[in-house]
Amino acid sequence: MLLEVAGLTVKFGAVEALSDMSLTLERGERFGIVGESGSGKTLTALAITGLLPEGARVSGSIKIDGEPLPRSEREMARLRGKRIGMVFQEPMTALNPLMRVSDQIEEAIRINTVASAPRIEVPNLLKEVGLELRHGDRFAHQLSGGQRQRVMIAMALAGQPDILIADEPTSALDLITQRLVLDLIAEICTRRHMALLFISHDLKAVAWLCSRVAVLHRGKLVETGSVQDVLGAPTQAYTQKLVAASRFDVRPLARPPIGKTLLEVRGVSRDYKQGGPWPFGGKPLRAVDDVSLTVDAAECVAIVGPSGCGKTTLARIIVGLDRATRGEISFAGELYHGSDLPKARRRDISLVFQDPFGSFDPRLTIEQSLGEPLRLEKLDASTHVDRLIEAVEAVGLGQEMLRRYPHEFSGGQRQRLAIARALVTRPKLLVLDEPVSALDVSVRGEVLALLARLQADFGLTYLVISHDLGMVRAIADRVMVMEAGRIVEEGKPHEIFARPQHKLTQDLMAARLPEVG
Amino acid sequence: MSAATARRFVFTHPSLWLGLAATLAFTLLALVSLVWTPYPIANIEIGDRFLGPSAAHWLGTDNLGRDMASLVMSGTLTSFVVASLSVLIGAGIGVPLGLAAAAWGGALEWLVLRLSDFIFAFPAIIVAILITSLYGPGATNAIIAIGIFNIPIFARVARGGAMSLKTLDYVAAARLAGLGNGAIAYRHLLPNILSLIIVQGTIQLSLGILSEAGLSYIGLGTQPPSTSLGLMLKDAQGLFLIHPWLTLVPGLCIVLIVLALNLAGDGLRDAIDPRLKGVQQNAA
Repeated sequence: MLLEVAGLTVKFGAVEALSDMSLTLERGERFGIVGESGSGKTLTALAITGLLPEGARVSGSIKIDGEPLPRSEREMARLRGKRIGMVFQEPMTALNPLMRVSDQIEEAIRINTVASAPRIEVPNLLKEVGLELRHGDRFAHQLSGGQRQRVMIAMALAGQPDILIADEPTSALDLITQRLVLDLIAEICTRRHMALLFISHDLKAVAWLCSRVAVLHRGKLVETGSVQDVLGAPTQAYTQKLVAASRFDVRPLARPPIGKTLLEVRGVSRDYKQGGPWPFGGKPLRAVDDVSLTVDAAECVAIVGPSGCGKTTLARIIVGLDRATRGEISFAGELYHGSDLPKARRRDISLVFQDPFGSFDPRLTIEQSLGEPLRLEKLDASTHVDRLIEAVEAVGLGQEMLRRYPHEFSGGQRQRLAIARALVTRPKLLVLDEPVSALDVSVRGEVLALLARLQADFGLTYLVISHDLGMVRAIADRVMVMEAGRIVEEGKPHEIFARPQHKLTQDLMAARLPEVG
Repeated sequence: MSAATARRFVFTHPSLWLGLAATLAFTLLALVSLVWTPYPIANIEIGDRFLGPSAAHWLGTDNLGRDMASLVMSGTLTSFVVASLSVLIGAGIGVPLGLAAAAWGGALEWLVLRLSDFIFAFPAIIVAILITSLYGPGATNAIIAIGIFNIPIFARVARGGAMSLKTLDYVAAARLAGLGNGAIAYRHLLPNILSLIIVQGTIQLSLGILSEAGLSYIGLGTQPPSTSLGLMLKDAQGLFLIHPWLTLVPGLCIVLIVLALNLAGDGLRDAIDPRLKGVQQNAA
């Protein structure tokens, strides 16, 4: 038995953040830990590596090769490098910004190899993680997210560890890169016969990569066993909920028929100046390049693309936060170019933000935040309150929530409130920028079901911005694929998914992980 | 905040507690001097000069026979009034400037930043000399000089804080709700940078007390017959070797006040730190 964790409990003061966690890991085995934020999955990894934050009290036993973890920090540090390699979620903050990456890998090798043992060389490691030699001469900020994660993996491999612990290694990466990094981890583990402890909220990634899995919920072990048993035929209600949520089964509802064109974008481009206010600055950066699209009333249109493809900029122009450099937009017959959207029309277009934590002013009550868009209409006091109550009840929350402050709500509740704020002016068009990607898997399904119900009830038109193909297929009537500021492919979701034409779309399809169960 | 969290707050922030308590004590001392001092400070008794501390004169008397305890009380008041008013001037002009720079950006931001660079180039002393040579010395002119010096500091703090908030989604949401730059600055940015401003205000208060002492010391601040801690130092400096006590009393007072304010400022900064905020949120 390579790693044996039994009855692991981590407490912060009186709060039990992780209770009675047990797992075993054989040589060369791949074990996945699945859970939502706050479920204790990262704490498990930190406890195994002895990196728990101060103030944590640990009980239970952790044994590596039958030996308990050393007590001294010095021996623990040696163990971390040589026996256990770690890969973190955000490679930008895990790499030293002032060192070339080859020097950082070199350092990891120097610290972790005994003088007598055969030394591995930086070029070999770079090659193993699929990087070229020239990448080694760069600094962290000169690499893409996927390349940075490869460097992190190379550093973790430097000590030739027996166990690789990967904590959400791909959640900061876009879909295509995510698949490449997952494949790389799988390949390296097989080749080196290395055990993998893979921590993720993504069931599909765990199912793809691991042979055994443990499901954590609020610090407690819900279910554990082989991937086929646990994810294929879950016995616990929580696991069943997770598996169902990962499939995005949105029940089709009776919807109002799709109407006439509501929004028309004609040849919109957006240039960003580079190099400050001087006229002789660099070449302007074109974030959105000659985009034309139409959205019909009561339709749900999705724009899909990798990060940095300009989809968010396009959304900001449509809702009137940014201004198009060229081109124009027509909304219900009225022409505008972005931020010159007439005040009388602003109530008809709403935006739901990606991050439910940053979209509410922490110092205002929900009532104040939700009431803000109502300034666009001159309402008397009682209608104002009625509208607020109508909006929160539409998203399934009670009116007593209005008096509370944002920090009293969970991520899913906040996203409901963000949708409520978008609905409060009774808009025609709702632009949703990654509406569920910051939410836990089990909450995503609820929010999507809510969106479907609202569309059926109010005949809303949706423009969804996302990189999540599973979600797009579940809710969209029409999909547009965007790359480098241009729309490269358009069509019905099942057609695009079955017969992708453009290279990017094909890559996106190929990068999709198989469904769970 | 419940009683238990309040108690834990005091225990986890002893320096804040100490600093606030000492600041409060000095403020009370200064305020009492408005209605009562042991002796009137203009009361010159040449016959009683250079007395040591006694029951009649708690801190002794100075070279003119004035009661030192009364002088210290009144001097502390002057220092506090000058420092607070100059902080009010600095915050009152600097914070709106900084917020406006962050909210509107562009040419206005450039103007505010260059203006604060310009003011930064002249220390409070130079401004004070300028004002004094134009309008004569006095406490009011010291207030104006230190206040002007405070403006760019508050402008920068306000702009920095507001810039980091400006990219947040709730500001974008407010813009979508049709709020203009001014309304966003007032409704969303200002309340969220208030804690930064309060911390900076405490620090500027202690710097203001030092500046006032410095200006009075070189004769550009408070003028007799009123007094300030810096003026007391100036009066006593010639006698330092013979009567060191006369210098030590106002000097130590300045040190203690500045120390108390700095402790309170640092403590406030720790208390408002976002990492600790999380703990408080969980407790709420």
